[in-house]
Amino acid sequence: MTAGASPRIHPYGDGETMLGFGPSTGPQLLVLQPLFEEMNRTRALIVAICRGLSMRGIGCWLPDLPGTGESIRPLDGLGWRDWRDAVIVAAAAAGVPIGGTVSFRGGALLDDTIDAPRWRLAPTGGRSLLSDLRRSALATGSDPTAPAGYVLSAALTGPLGLAEVAADRARTLRLASDERAADLRVEGIPVWRRPEPQQDARLATSLIDDIAAWSIR
Amino acid sequence: MTGAIATIEDQLRAILRDVLGIDAARAAALDETTPLFGAMPELDSMAVAGLLTEIEDRLHILIDDDEVDGEMLESFGSLTAFVRTKRDA
Repeated sequence: MTAGASPRIHPYGDGETMLGFGPSTGPQLLVLQPLFEEMNRTRALIVAICRGLSMRGIGCWLPDLPGTGESIRPLDGLGWRDWRDAVIVAAAAAGVPIGGTVSFRGGALLDDTIDAPRWRLAPTGGRSLLSDLRRSALATGSDPTAPAGYVLSAALTGPLGLAEVAADRARTLRLASDERAADLRVEGIPVWRRPEPQQDARLATSLIDDIAAWSIR
Repeated sequence: MTGAIATIEDQLRAILRDVLGIDAARAAALDETTPLFGAMPELDSMAVAGLLTEIEDRLHILIDDDEVDGEMLESFGSLTAFVRTKRDA
């Protein structure tokens, strides 16, 4: 894993934070993380990708959505609209034109808020994410109104359950083990499925290569 | 890019490999009689949640919570039979 310079911390919106990686010249990408538990599981992979891209002269902007990561807002008061609006506000707060979005899993459900080409890894629909949460709660005997500890409002779960990724302007990558339609398949571990944090340096490098070639096209 | 449509068995092997983190040799060795739930230590109840969602997404079926029981997950053969029945429905 290459080191690279430390990221910068940028405020955006109402007390939210976003990491900035790399130069403010050259291509600028807004990076949208997976939702819920998958965000934690992929954090190391995504930060490695942002660092790798920054070392190739590509700027990356990585916002934490309201109610997640570094956010101080409680998740239970937030709706789907708040997350979609936050992406727009984060892109504006970068202060540079965003040339593309890079989304992972459920993050791709938010990339159509930005008027730019979209790169996606293993995008998934909202219904599937909610099924995962519900089944995890059933499996662990946790409170079904707070699956896996997440207290979610109807204003979030309602629209999320219907959310599908936008079809246009997208380059989609999937893992080699996944038969669904993709522009490219890459070998790697689905780290978003693994409860124990895992690194996959080879996957990170494949993704950095592909994103770099796509963003400099 | 496999170039050919994989069988349901092969797709289930790939999903089990992805969700459980088992190696390629173990996944390839899964056959009709291989016991799953209760026999495979990686397949705990949390992993079942991920397994069901991946099966739904990749094999284009919907699984109701009340369809999930020990019988369905007893063996690789019973899981395959369940998926095949859903896909033919």
